[in-house]
Amino acid sequence: MSLVFQSLVLGVLMGGLYALLAAGLTLYFGVMRVVMIAHSAFLVLAAYLAWTFTVHTGLDPMLSLLVTVPLFFALGVAVQRLLVARLRPATLTMMSVLLTFAVALVVEGLLGFVFSGTHRRIPLSYSGARLELFGASVALVKLIAFGLAVVTLAGLHVLLKVTRFGQALRATMQHREAARLLGVDTDRVAGFGFGLGLATAAVGGTALALDSTIYPSLHWHWIGPLMAIIVVGGLGSVAGAAVAALVLGVGQNLLQLPLGTTWAQTFFYAALFLTLILRPQGFFGGRLAQRF
Amino acid sequence: MAADLLELVDVEAGYGRAALVLRGLTVRVPPASVVCLVGPNGAGKSTVLKVASGLLAPRGGRIVLDGRDVTGRGPQSLLAAGLSHVLQGHSVFPEMTVGENVLLGAYTVRDKVRVAERVDFVRTLFPVVGARWDALAGALSGGQQKQVEFARSLMVSPRVVLLDEPSMGLDPKATATVFEQITRMRDAGTAVLLVEQNARRALEIADQGCVLDLGRVHLSGPAPALLTNPRLGDLYLGHPPP
Repeated sequence: MSLVFQSLVLGVLMGGLYALLAAGLTLYFGVMRVVMIAHSAFLVLAAYLAWTFTVHTGLDPMLSLLVTVPLFFALGVAVQRLLVARLRPATLTMMSVLLTFAVALVVEGLLGFVFSGTHRRIPLSYSGARLELFGASVALVKLIAFGLAVVTLAGLHVLLKVTRFGQALRATMQHREAARLLGVDTDRVAGFGFGLGLATAAVGGTALALDSTIYPSLHWHWIGPLMAIIVVGGLGSVAGAAVAALVLGVGQNLLQLPLGTTWAQTFFYAALFLTLILRPQGFFGGRLAQRF
Repeated sequence: MAADLLELVDVEAGYGRAALVLRGLTVRVPPASVVCLVGPNGAGKSTVLKVASGLLAPRGGRIVLDGRDVTGRGPQSLLAAGLSHVLQGHSVFPEMTVGENVLLGAYTVRDKVRVAERVDFVRTLFPVVGARWDALAGALSGGQQKQVEFARSLMVSPRVVLLDEPSMGLDPKATATVFEQITRMRDAGTAVLLVEQNARRALEIADQGCVLDLGRVHLSGPAPALLTNPRLGDLYLGHPPP
């Protein structure tokens, strides 16, 4: 099987994970117009909690989700209510960058204080296992991470499309004042939307920890590509971000063949700059993204 | 004569710490009638609607809905009391279908039978809603989107609907349709408080008119009388067509 096909399969798997990691960022921006720089710091926090859980209990890190998902949801509601909601609406987006940058530094500092700067990796019995997928050899942990991403995004999709809360959340994202006039408690919905975004970080961080070495400052490595994904996808669009994540994930993996891993990473930034020059509203966000 | 359904009495309101926009304004809306607010830009017309629907808290005066003092209540409470507000410009949820938009109008209604009845009602009143039920609302023309907003506002069986410049940005044909729909809403028993830049056209379909200037009612009375008032004609209506 050719290296190109192998890279393509890995790119799809990585793209799925990127889509999950970016979903929260999209929710924050859609609901509150908040640029949540601290999202990737919470991903790393979730990864550390999964590592701690496995090291101390010997159980699979995915079981830590039973605790971290509700915990992060509550944490997200608290961050929105206690910090973000206090920003002045006129300068909310700009100030949210500074505020959440500070939150990211606090999370990183706490992680360094508690866990030190030592690189950690979750000990897994199946970490070396590989599977044949359409002829490509794929690490089992990458497949599990992809599966977690697909299940979470499908759940998010159903939640947004079918439930009463999902309808209220989408309405709030698309026209907050109109939603308020229809009886939606938009402040409460915004809090829950933020919580939902951070809950996806709990899943994303655990998926990340399956296949990555983690350290407190790892989040700086992730925030740039994730921001690129939501801009290319169209701000505020979960589906747009998912498509962009797949496209950029595949592109990055294919470029690793001729350029190597370091230079392939620049693909995200090249895509970000090109999008801002050619189509600032993003490529896959539809009418909603054109409002921002 | 029936008691007024909605009354704003000596209302004072403004934004933030800035000066007052409304300075002791009084407006009354009888049941099943169209009352039109006209006036120059900055007169405070849209602010009247925001205060009436609870989006903006008044600094003084009273708001009475169906005989009950509702001053200071928020949009959710006023919606439950029978008041809907259609915002200026386009306020459909563009990435949701027409059906989803309309059903969200009944967000506070838990009785599924009642919701189904209201869906039938608005589909009859606004045929475009039924015809484009599964289309994305953002894909509709401006006039069609406005009708979706009207339909959405009627899902809670409101007794009074506030309409903020419904013809803004519409072509003449769509504008004619929108004004026709407003009279149909009135004929179906809903009172309408209408803010409109197209003053002559609005007064032609209205029962009562109020001319606002600098946050106060400058002139009010039956709409036909205002239409023929020479002072008003010079100031706000332009010269009547030959």
